[in-house]
Amino acid sequence: MKKHGKPALGVPRRTILKGSLMTASLAGVGAFYGPWHHNRAFAQGKKPIKLGLTNDSSGQFGNSGQDEHRAIRMVIDEWNAKGGVLGRKIEWVTADTESSPAAGTRVAERFITREDCPILIGALHSGVANAITQVANKYGTIFLNTNSSAPSEAGENCSRIKFVWDGNGTNFSKAAVANAVKTIGKNWLLLTNDYVWGHSTAAATKALIEANGGKIIDNLLVPQNTRDFTSYLLKIQQIKPQVIGTAIAGDDNKALREQITQLKLDRPGGPAWINNQQDWPDVWGSPQSLFGVFGTSWYHKLNLPGVPEFVKKWQDANKDGPIPVPGNVSYNGYMATQELFRAIERAGSTNNIAIIKALEGHKMSAKDRMQHFDAYIDPDTHQVQQTIYLARKNEKPVDNTDHFEILSWTEPKDVMDDAAPTKCKLVPHDKVPSVDA
Amino acid sequence: MFDLLPHLLNGLVLGLLLALIALGFMLIIGLMEQINLAHGSLFALGAYFALMLTGPKPPLPPDAAAFWLQIPLGWRYALALVIAPCLAGIVGIAVEVCMRRTYGKDPLYGLLLTFGVALVLEELIRLTWGTRDHVLPVPSGMSGAFIFQDLIWSTYRFYAAGMAAIVIGLVWLLIEKTPYGAMIKAGAHDSEMVRALGVNLSKLRLGVFVLGTMLAAFAGIIVAPIWGIRPHMGVDAVVPAFLIIVLGGVGSFWGAVIASLLVGLAVGVSGAYASEWSLLSMYLLLVAIVSFRARGLFGKKSMLEV
Repeated sequence: MKKHGKPALGVPRRTILKGSLMTASLAGVGAFYGPWHHNRAFAQGKKPIKLGLTNDSSGQFGNSGQDEHRAIRMVIDEWNAKGGVLGRKIEWVTADTESSPAAGTRVAERFITREDCPILIGALHSGVANAITQVANKYGTIFLNTNSSAPSEAGENCSRIKFVWDGNGTNFSKAAVANAVKTIGKNWLLLTNDYVWGHSTAAATKALIEANGGKIIDNLLVPQNTRDFTSYLLKIQQIKPQVIGTAIAGDDNKALREQITQLKLDRPGGPAWINNQQDWPDVWGSPQSLFGVFGTSWYHKLNLPGVPEFVKKWQDANKDGPIPVPGNVSYNGYMATQELFRAIERAGSTNNIAIIKALEGHKMSAKDRMQHFDAYIDPDTHQVQQTIYLARKNEKPVDNTDHFEILSWTEPKDVMDDAAPTKCKLVPHDKVPSVDA
Repeated sequence: MFDLLPHLLNGLVLGLLLALIALGFMLIIGLMEQINLAHGSLFALGAYFALMLTGPKPPLPPDAAAFWLQIPLGWRYALALVIAPCLAGIVGIAVEVCMRRTYGKDPLYGLLLTFGVALVLEELIRLTWGTRDHVLPVPSGMSGAFIFQDLIWSTYRFYAAGMAAIVIGLVWLLIEKTPYGAMIKAGAHDSEMVRALGVNLSKLRLGVFVLGTMLAAFAGIIVAPIWGIRPHMGVDAVVPAFLIIVLGGVGSFWGAVIASLLVGLAVGVSGAYASEWSLLSMYLLLVAIVSFRARGLFGKKSMLEV
C-alpha cells in the first residue's frame, strides 16, 4: 500500500508540486517574454503575399486613415493586375487601429501571429505607429509607417524593420521657422497636442526658434480629442504673441481651425500662424477655415510631369470616395507601398532582411515621385528624405479642389532632421528575427 | 483680475452647456433610477438629424429637397431644433420598450441594455452618415465673433449658453411646478402607491424616457457647432454627463446644474492656466468631492445603491 503524499516513483508529492509550479511558471514566463528571436517562414512558393493594413479608420485620424487605405489598395490592385510581386498575388487584411495605441498593438499582434502577415503598412497617429513598431520588432515584421510624422519615429523610436515615409515635424519646422522669426517676429507661442507627435514636433520647433534668436513665451498643451479651444484662444488673445506655432493634428486641428476662423483670429492684425503640417483629408473636411503658413509633402496641382496622370488614375480608382483628389496622405500611402513592391522585386526575395537591405539607402528620382527634388531612404534612420513644401490658402483657386498656394519647395538636405541619426540606434541586420513571406 | 474674468465667464458658459448635456441623463437616472448609457448616442443622433435637415443633402425626393433648400437656413435651423429631437424621441420610444423588462430588477440589467443600445446606435450612425466629421450649418447671425475691449469671443457660445439656461428653466418648471412633475417624482419615489392612485406608470415612464431622449438630442444640436459632428461624439457627452450626475448627487436637479457649473469652471480656468490639466481637472474635482460626500453634493439614498 502506497503512503499518501508519496507517489510510486518515490518522489515526495510536495516536491512534484513545487517542480510543476516552477515548470509552469517558467513555461508561462517563456511564453510571455520570448523567445525574442522568432524565425518565421510562412508558406512560400506561389502562395499570395499577405499584407496587414494597419490604418486608423476611426478616431482622431479616421479620415486620413481611410484615405491612405484607399491609396494602398490602389497600388495592390495595380500590381495584382500585372501579375503580382515576384509572380505572387498580393492579398491584404485590414482592421481599424482606432487612432489608439492599444488598438494598434492588438491589431499588429493579430495580423502577425494569427493572419501570418509578414509586412504591415499604415500609420497616422504616432502613438499607434510606435505601438505597432514594438510588436513588429519582436517578430521581425517589416512595418511601413506611411504618414505618422513625429520626429521620434525616425529618432529614438526608429527601428531596423520600420520605414518612415512622411516628412516629419522637424523637416516642416526647418522649412518655415527661420524665415518666420526673421520676417514676422521673435515672440512665439506654441500650441501643442499632448502626445508624442505634438511633443517631439514642439521640441524641434522650439530648438529652431531659439537657434534663430526667437523666444517661446508659452507652450500650451492641448489634450487629444479637445473640441472646444475657447480657453486656449482667450489665453492667446491675452498673451498677444507675434507668431503661433501649432502642432495640432487630425480632427483636433480641424476643430481648432474652425474656431479660430469663427473668431477672426486669422485676420491681418492678429498673430501669424505657422501650422506645422496640414493633412489633405483634414483640409478637405473644412477648406473654408484654412489659414496661416503650413507644410505638406505633396499637392495634387504641383506643376510637375506625372501629377495629372496620377490624379486621374487615383480618381478612376476612387470614384465613390469622399475626397475627389489625392492629397499628401494618400500620396505617401501609394509611394510607400509601391516602393515596397519594387524592393521585393529588386531583392528577388520575400525575406525580410533582403527587403530591408533593398530599401535602405534606395534613391528615388524626383520624376518618379512627382516632387521637385530627388529623394532617398536614409540608411541611418529609415526616413524618406524628400522635398518639403510650404503653402498657404489659395485666394485664386482654379477649381473647387485648389485650396493650396504653394509658396516654396525645399531640398531634402536643407530640412534634414540633424538630431535624428544620433537618437536612432538601429540594431544590426543579423539581430533582426528573419521572416520569409 | 481682468485676466481671470474671461476664463471665469468661459467656464460658466461651458458649465451651462454641460448642464444641458446632463439634463436628460439626470431626468432618467433621477426619476426612473435607470442609468441610460445610450444617452451619448441619442445626443449624437440629435446632431445628425439636425445635420440632415439643415445640410445641403436632405433625404427627400428631388423636388421636395429643392423646395426645402429654398427655405432660408435660419428657418431650417429653427425647424431642426424641433423636428430632430422629435425624431430622436421616436428612437427613445423603441429603447424604452426594450427597457421595460429591466424595471424593478438589478440596475445592472438596464445598464447593460443601454450600453448595447449605445453601441448599436453608434454603428448605425457610421453606416448611415459615414465616419467622417461634419459641420452643422448655423445661421450667419449666430456665428462670427463678439468683441469686448481687447477680447474676441464666439457669438455662438452666448447663444448656446442662453438656450441651455432657457431649457434648464423649463425643465425645472415642469418638474417642480406642474402636476406632471409631481407624478413623475412620486412615481420614482413610490411606484406602487402611484399605480394604486390610478396613474398609468408605464405611460409615465415612457414619457420621462422620451423627454430625456429629446433633451439629449436637443443638447446634441446646440453643442454640435462647437464640437463638430462625428460618430463617437456621444462618448464625449456621456462621460461628463455621468460624472456630473455623480458629482451633483443622483436625482438632484440643482445638484446636476451646480455640478455642471463647477466642472465648467474647473475645465475653463485650468485650460487657461495649466492647459495639460484641463480635462483631468473634472475628474480631480469628482475625487475631491466624492471623498467627502459619497453621494455627491446633494445626493440622497437611491435604489441604485441596493
